[in-house]
Amino acid sequence: MEELILKLKQEIIEVLNLEDIKPEDIDNDAPLFGEGLGLDSIDALELIVLMEKNYGIKLQDPAKGKEIFKSISVMADYIQKNRTR
Amino acid sequence: MERKGLDFVVLNQGNAQLTELYRSQIGDWPKFFKMDTLSKAGFVASELLLKKLGERRCGSEEFIQSRAIVLFGSTASLCADRNYQETIQNKDNYYPSPALFVYTLPNIVTGEIAIRNHWRGESSFYVLEAPDAAQMAFHLACAFQDSVTESILAGWVDSRNNDDFQVFMTLIRKEDAADTDWLAGQLQLIINDLNK
Repeated sequence: MEELILKLKQEIIEVLNLEDIKPEDIDNDAPLFGEGLGLDSIDALELIVLMEKNYGIKLQDPAKGKEIFKSISVMADYIQKNRTR
Repeated sequence: MERKGLDFVVLNQGNAQLTELYRSQIGDWPKFFKMDTLSKAGFVASELLLKKLGERRCGSEEFIQSRAIVLFGSTASLCADRNYQETIQNKDNYYPSPALFVYTLPNIVTGEIAIRNHWRGESSFYVLEAPDAAQMAFHLACAFQDSVTESILAGWVDSRNNDDFQVFMTLIRKEDAADTDWLAGQLQLIINDLNK
């Protein structure tokens, strides 16, 4: 799980152009949206694309993203349970 | 009394210059890193101009409704269009990027500047074949015809590829646009600088 969390952080930094942020700066349990990394709605769409492209997970209901993208830990847990690649 | 010429900022080097300028002169707007080159160029030039003019920073009530943004360029959002196209080019690797898609309109750069400064005045982006002082002066003068616009952040913003851009930014006050010949002359001086 630790390995997946680190990989996920690196992918998020790259795909969302979070310049000046390193994986160790992202708290596993901090909210990704709002106070945490301050991501916006376009970032949420990019995360949905990332999950499909890198892990073969297609979110049928984008509203579910709110729950899945709660934190890195929650997201990694969801990926581990649902990944097809 | 001789009229003071327009203050302006010209930038026309590589993308690295924009990031360097952002880091050294601005630094408090992380959304910069998500922008396409066109928006980065417009954003940085606008920030440097406002700094040069010594205007109070964002949220200034004074300009919320009365400050318009009118920009011109020749390739519009072509660079962002190409970047986005790459994400949908391959049927077997078809992952349209929302973050790239949002920049596939040239007027997004005006929005980025308006959001940063909390300006809610008119904004527009005109596509011209090349910088044309007379035509730009005409459109700028027209933009003052409403009852609210008192000043316009105006400029040329063009990006042919991710590493190649050309931008100038200036501030036009209503009295500047009353004499379109003078305004066109001033814009021509800036255009000459842009092409150096």
